[in-house]
Amino acid sequence: MREISTWKDTQMKLDSVTLAILGNKLAAVSEEMCLTLQRTGRTLYVKETADFACALAGLDGRFFAYPRSIGVSGFVGLECLPAIEAVGPLQPGDVILTNDPYRSEGLATHLPDLHMIEPYFHEGRIVAYGWCFVHCSDVGGRVPSSISPVNTEIFQEGLRIPPVKLMKRGQMTPEVRLFLDANSRTPDANMGDIRAMLAALAAGRRRLEQTIAQHGAEAVSNAATDLITYAAQKARTVLRRVPDGTYAFADYLDDDAATRLPVRVALAATFNDGTVHLDFSGTDPQVATAMNIPSRGRPHAWLTLRVLALVNTLDSTTPLNAGLLDPVRITAPEGSLVNPQEPAATGVRHAAAIRVNDVLNGAFGKALPDVMPAASSGTVIPVVMAEPDGRGGRRVQVIEPMIGGTGARSGRDGVDGRDSGISNLANNPVETVEAELGVEILAYALRPDSGGAGKWRGGCGMELTFRVLTDDSNVLGRGMERLVFRPWGSYGGRPGAPGELIINRGQADEQRLGKIDVLTVNAGDTVTFLTPGAGGWGNPAERDPQAVLRDVQNGFVTIEGAAGQYGVVIVAGTIDADATAARRAHFAAGGASGARGPEREQWDAVFAPDLMDRMNRSLVALPGAVRQRKRREIFNRVLAGLPQDFPRQPADVAAVAAARQVLESVAREL
Amino acid sequence: MQKNGARIGIDVGGTFTDFVLANPGEERLVYYKEPSTPDDPSRALIEGLKSLLEKAGIGAGQVATIMHGTTIGLNAIIQRRGATIALVVTKGYRDILEIARSRMPSSFDFHASKEEPLVPRYRIVEIDARLSASGDVTNLPDEAELDRVAAELAALGVEAAALVLINGYTKPALEIDLASRLSQKANGLEITSAAAIWPEIREYERTLVACLNAYIQPLMHRYFTGLKSGLERDGVVAPILVTASNGGSLSLASAQDRPVETILSGPASGVMAAARLASAAGVTSIITFDMGGTSSDIAVASGGSAALATRTDIGGLPLVLPVVDVSAIGAGGGSIVWVDDHGVLKVGPRSAGAMPGPVSYGRGGTEPAVTDCYLALGYIDPNGFLGGRMKLDKQAAETALGAIGERIGLEGRNAAARAAEGALAVTTAGMATELYKTLAARGLDPATFALLPFGGAGPTHANLLAEEVGIGRVVIPPAAGTFCALGAAAADLRRDFVRSLRRPLTDESAQLLQDVFAELAAEGAVWLDREGEQAEGRRVERAVDMRYAGQAYELRVSLDETCRAAADVAAAFHAEHERIYGFRDTETEIELGTARLAMVGETAKLADQTIAAGSGRPTAKGERPLFRRGAWLTAAVYDRQAFGAGDQISGPAIIEQDDTTTILLPNWRARADDAGNLHLERHADEA
Repeated sequence: MREISTWKDTQMKLDSVTLAILGNKLAAVSEEMCLTLQRTGRTLYVKETADFACALAGLDGRFFAYPRSIGVSGFVGLECLPAIEAVGPLQPGDVILTNDPYRSEGLATHLPDLHMIEPYFHEGRIVAYGWCFVHCSDVGGRVPSSISPVNTEIFQEGLRIPPVKLMKRGQMTPEVRLFLDANSRTPDANMGDIRAMLAALAAGRRRLEQTIAQHGAEAVSNAATDLITYAAQKARTVLRRVPDGTYAFADYLDDDAATRLPVRVALAATFNDGTVHLDFSGTDPQVATAMNIPSRGRPHAWLTLRVLALVNTLDSTTPLNAGLLDPVRITAPEGSLVNPQEPAATGVRHAAAIRVNDVLNGAFGKALPDVMPAASSGTVIPVVMAEPDGRGGRRVQVIEPMIGGTGARSGRDGVDGRDSGISNLANNPVETVEAELGVEILAYALRPDSGGAGKWRGGCGMELTFRVLTDDSNVLGRGMERLVFRPWGSYGGRPGAPGELIINRGQADEQRLGKIDVLTVNAGDTVTFLTPGAGGWGNPAERDPQAVLRDVQNGFVTIEGAAGQYGVVIVAGTIDADATAARRAHFAAGGASGARGPEREQWDAVFAPDLMDRMNRSLVALPGAVRQRKRREIFNRVLAGLPQDFPRQPADVAAVAAARQVLESVAREL
Repeated sequence: MQKNGARIGIDVGGTFTDFVLANPGEERLVYYKEPSTPDDPSRALIEGLKSLLEKAGIGAGQVATIMHGTTIGLNAIIQRRGATIALVVTKGYRDILEIARSRMPSSFDFHASKEEPLVPRYRIVEIDARLSASGDVTNLPDEAELDRVAAELAALGVEAAALVLINGYTKPALEIDLASRLSQKANGLEITSAAAIWPEIREYERTLVACLNAYIQPLMHRYFTGLKSGLERDGVVAPILVTASNGGSLSLASAQDRPVETILSGPASGVMAAARLASAAGVTSIITFDMGGTSSDIAVASGGSAALATRTDIGGLPLVLPVVDVSAIGAGGGSIVWVDDHGVLKVGPRSAGAMPGPVSYGRGGTEPAVTDCYLALGYIDPNGFLGGRMKLDKQAAETALGAIGERIGLEGRNAAARAAEGALAVTTAGMATELYKTLAARGLDPATFALLPFGGAGPTHANLLAEEVGIGRVVIPPAAGTFCALGAAAADLRRDFVRSLRRPLTDESAQLLQDVFAELAAEGAVWLDREGEQAEGRRVERAVDMRYAGQAYELRVSLDETCRAAADVAAAFHAEHERIYGFRDTETEIELGTARLAMVGETAKLADQTIAAGSGRPTAKGERPLFRRGAWLTAAVYDRQAFGAGDQISGPAIIEQDDTTTILLPNWRARADDAGNLHLERHADEA
């Protein structure tokens, strides 16, 4: 690509000053839309968790201005054009509404997200589009709040709204409204959110009109394209720092929520002179649960978040817009988890997106060892309590959204108990939870020794322990992950501790459970969620003993952990240098255990990566109905010769070899 | 002590310590500026006060009160240079500061870190004590448990500590008692009870209030003790009042007890002065615009009082005490003008600071700053900066800006001026967008406000900002440079009190609300009685946070004395909800959240300032070229002193005074009122 030394080389239409001014103003328009939406919205999703966003799209339907400091950050790569084209010619005052991932071609990614688009006119011509979305409370479907991981088809997930005109020339279409109201458990709350979205779109329209009055329509149109060019150039400059080559990485979700079969996400990322090709061939076929990511095979937001984060981490001045994705090409096989065919369910697509993010992170880490961290805890669990309200119904509320920590990287420990990888939600004050639910929260804390050991330590996971005060209460732990496959370490770093769920810990009737969907508990029971720790970076035997001592003093690592994981012996609060040297020498002789944990090693010993790549390519090519059945058959045959709880319970060498042979033979048959 | 003596307001800034002296019954205010002494701010204060008294011609014994704002606490928090403190917290919550509200500062930057906690984990001690949400004691520590905690505190060797119990807000007395028993057992260690200061639901935020208080208390104590004895040596025995973040002030004893209430007092004083000045000048609603060296701040005020916020950010930590709601909107005079690798012109966020400063300061700065742009455009006089005490190098500024122009493709005539104008346009657009967002979050339209600038560069940039955002009036106060000191001199005594109620609005709970208000008012009265004799009158302000059941957010509603019955409280809420959100919901139950009461002790008003009537037109002292929209205009130059009441001029013009320069654009005119304020008004579109 050209080197840029003067403004003329950039081939921008605007001059430098005007571009700087309009870049700032147009981004601010999108933020002002968000502030309007947040101020006028009514529901928890809008007010507390900020699960919404607003932006300005150009005539090509791509966002040229996107908010940086408010709302959901990851949707900058969404495309509005398919939804716009679906409704036909637009008039001033028209507003498009849709929530259908398939008919909007991936603008919406699950049904509770209501997306709206308003054409902004100037002198009779469309000059830009305003866009916004809100995660609304309920769009009908099989369960309240519309989302359940075990839905098998999108038809179970609620009302599908293909792109339609909600507003025609400023008036709400009565028929659309009737359909909306009739198909939600919370029609009033939804209409409140819709009105807030309309207010946000109107705020955007007014501010854009004012900007056009100040700078002219041509300058604003030119800014829309120049800003995308500018972001693309900056992204390319950053990506050029990645050495050319292909970097492969694969990771697993513990299971697909309905069966105990793990779900594989595989990626080969090829960097070439500031461009990157993300090839997801080798990823599992789409699942019969709600974890599919409806990308439509595009460089979709849910598949490219880590690219955006990489560009922004290395150059925080890059404007946030669709140009960031110009250097990104994607291969997502149709019929796979990352490009499902209709009518796959997509309600909890973010669970898979977390693992997609990990896989990008892992592949990029091979190219940029000093930049990319080890795996973060990789789980977001909104721990929900549904307790009898004494009137025959149930009070349902999130106790805490549980996350873990961030992975360590070269030169820096991970962050304990925080992780903005896929979403950056605020927690709930314990006191407001106790004021509204019959629970006593006994501990909301970091989990010692959970962070993966390394020269740099992974962030600690968390603990939430609460005592139930009402009989027959339900606890929901959707999103529990990494109970089997641990957050991996990098460059010699160890994995974080896996997640756990324990009932009545330390009591006679203690129960250690795996993943739950709904759990029934009674007054007096205690429930403990332990989230995974994040991965470590570098050899733990090389960690500065003083840093280990500090961690012990602060309680992030126990004395036993210091000796066992780091070879640092601490006696009476000080480091025993001789004992430490001896222990570390022994460590070096013994060699490091794996970065991914024993469960993953066991699994890969049977389900070898190259074999899985081949098998998944063949499976995805099969017709939809056959694909799932075939896959189940294969796994049943292979797992038949392995322990019930494999890979948590290891198998002996002979059983592993035998199972692998079975896999090889069935893979050949495909 | 002289009740009717002089009142002195002092503002300690990064560069100068400003003084304003008001004598009772006298209209004249005496101003003085002393270079600040950041290593020990009290030195400049004591020295400057001596000079001020000399200038005013009064003796130390004639001083009635000294009102003083300080940023020592704020700086200590931001730079994490406060005391070594411990935190005692309910068992199971040792990580309350590590977890915080669980958000990271950036969603996109995976190298971002969380904020440094005020108390490292090894200095956090758990105690087996807590209450239930309804205020029942579920765990109470026995003597052995208290002894264990006290022993751990003693072993940590800390200077102060904070105590927080889960649900402690429901029964402040219990936590206060526990704090004092622990203190006794720990050799009198100062222990701040969170529930004592701020009994509001939300454990993390309340914990921070207590920790911040303990963190800055030893340092503030030392500072005030030193200041007091220093002043006494000079014969100044007048009571010292300390300005507070809520725009009011506190006695020295109160401030030492709760320094956390004074953290943001500096900017608050300026905004309060602006609010009062605007109200006196008959301007109802203003946006204040404080532009200094490193950044610019705005705040909103209506009807003489400033808008308050109950969630602000202090160096990455949320503060829930009510504070005057000041928002940063971007560049200051020292912000650096630069070009990125892709040829796009940028301003800030880096600042040249005082050292090396802008290029034109001639102190080694090589990158041009906003001040250099003012110079290259003819806005400010190179020989008139700081009243002529500092000569600026215009040529150097132009050379540096010329180089910027080259990088962004500007060539030929006036390249430096065009680059400078471009940089100011970028600066102004940046401020405007932040201003829009700040007002949008509150549902306000900037066009309905007047802009009231202060600070060194405020009046220079105000007209540019007003033109950009569509504000038609700018009010420039007489002593724009020493505005915060003036605000301090006129501050009322004020303290805020809260109680969390959290129950449905019924006749019974409406009565409870009244009882709580009565309790809080009694608490406030006890406080005000102890504050000394400065208060001439007292009043209370009541408000309660409410919501419709099931709503995720609360709305603050002010209640007057007569609003007592449940029906009246409900009506007030419906009306406010309709005003803000456009609808009311009479079907749904209303819930009471937090009750809030402010106790205000009113101090004597400063005498109104007036200036003599003018002739209708002031005499210009000269003219100079002013660059605007790509061409040089000729602007008349006026001395601010030359304006009499009623005098009027048209732009383009430049109005100079010792501490700042005002720019008047071609399509604006300016008129002086009786109090000496300049009112800038837009009368046409710019050609």
